[in-house]
Amino acid sequence: MPEYIKFVDVTKCDGCRACMVACKNWNDLPVATEEYSGSIQSHEKVNAYTWNVITYTEHETADGGFEWLFRHQSCLHCVEAACEKACPEDAISHTEFGSVVVDHDKCVGCGYCVQNCIFDVIELATYKDKNGKEYRKAQKCTLCTDRLEQGLLPACVRACHSGCLQYGKKEEILAEAEKRLEKVKERFPNANIYNPPGINGSATVYLLAEKPSVYGLPEDPKLPASLTLWKDYLRPASKALMGVTLTAVLGAVIANARNKGPEEQEGGQDNQ
Amino acid sequence: MSRRTKTRPIQRFSRQIIISHWWNATAFFILYLSGLPLYTEWFDFLYVFFGGPENARLVHRVFAVVICLPIVFMLLFDRKGFFHWIKSIFTWSKRDIQFLLAFPKEFFGRNPKYPPQDFYNGGEKLNSLLQILCIGMLVISGFIMWLPDFFPQFLVRWAFPMHNIGFGLAAAVVVGHIYLSIGHPNSRVSMQGMTKGYVPEWYAEEHHGKWYEELKEQERKKQGAETQDAQGKQAVSQ
Repeated sequence: MPEYIKFVDVTKCDGCRACMVACKNWNDLPVATEEYSGSIQSHEKVNAYTWNVITYTEHETADGGFEWLFRHQSCLHCVEAACEKACPEDAISHTEFGSVVVDHDKCVGCGYCVQNCIFDVIELATYKDKNGKEYRKAQKCTLCTDRLEQGLLPACVRACHSGCLQYGKKEEILAEAEKRLEKVKERFPNANIYNPPGINGSATVYLLAEKPSVYGLPEDPKLPASLTLWKDYLRPASKALMGVTLTAVLGAVIANARNKGPEEQEGGQDNQ
Repeated sequence: MSRRTKTRPIQRFSRQIIISHWWNATAFFILYLSGLPLYTEWFDFLYVFFGGPENARLVHRVFAVVICLPIVFMLLFDRKGFFHWIKSIFTWSKRDIQFLLAFPKEFFGRNPKYPPQDFYNGGEKLNSLLQILCIGMLVISGFIMWLPDFFPQFLVRWAFPMHNIGFGLAAAVVVGHIYLSIGHPNSRVSMQGMTKGYVPEWYAEEHHGKWYEELKEQERKKQGAETQDAQGKQAVSQ
């Protein structure tokens, strides 16, 4: 199967929020209202019940003018996903579509993914069971994996009227992105394609009009060093240490059992 | 032959130290049982014993507090024993190093020579220091993981590997500690010190020679003082 990716050409976005509505609608997500923050932006950022948000960045142009910078913010579906690596329950995985999804039967709501996501995307949603007891599950954009399985476009892409959101074969999309980049460079000299090499790229590629940091994105995202140290070095090391100790004790048990002479039994008799 | 004759019980640990030790040990194991399923999904079956992941995490937090309390208990009820322990384990001399060098041989069933040991031998000192280091790391990182909203994100992220070092090392150390206290033929007598509070005199002499000599010295002084006292009384009455 050829690789497919989602392309977000922010220079085509007009901030209509149809993608947000389509997402809530398809994924049956509840209303999550937030207090008015002084901005026209609806939510501060994506959360467990709102899987994509159009960010409205107020930006000053080079000649002192004002412009809105819109960005369709949602999970990037990193190729090297910190959430997947941090999960102790093996509940987060990559699908055949390159999307990163949470298995809610396995998720225990520990929140390790939340702390380690480098884009601050994944969050815990709170639910109530039949007895009224609260429990939590990690939630985020699935890239509409359930739709992809049926040969449908992701809901946000389907709803986008300006051509900002596209979904297609990776090579075609990336070629299109390069073409678009050339075109918008005149108006946005800082424009760039955001497909972070530090995490081996992502299943969502952006064409940004400004530097990533202007949009609140990390300039050169990488897996947290603490996470790599923890999962790739300390975990195997602690298992090995346990193995060494248990082997040593087992060796000692055998050595001491073979050692048991009359002297030893005399010692035992004193132990009254 | 001395083992047959010197069976007199010698006091080793106070009742407060014994309570603190088992209090700590109980919390230690409950913390491991409730925490292991979050280490790897291989231990997920343990969730059943706690009534689900949410309850397991609750138990983990409750016992995280419980394991911190013995230090308060000791400071309130046996400050002398507590500071004797702290002072001893931070005081290192040549005889402790020599013990540690000879220890592997003894562990595997030989009887190497090492100088007479203090109240705590080199191995016991190392065990205490490692467990203090581990619980320090576990408590600090655990507190940060408990309340991630109150700490900067990089601290929360570094708390995870720190917690891993803490419980990985503590588990390895405790395996050795348990074997030495209930399994190893040379040292398992020491368990009585942590249950009844007493060890037989021959054990104190063989395993903690320096401490034993100090006890003897004290006894001699005491006897000397008593004799002098008696003589003094006699002198007065005459």
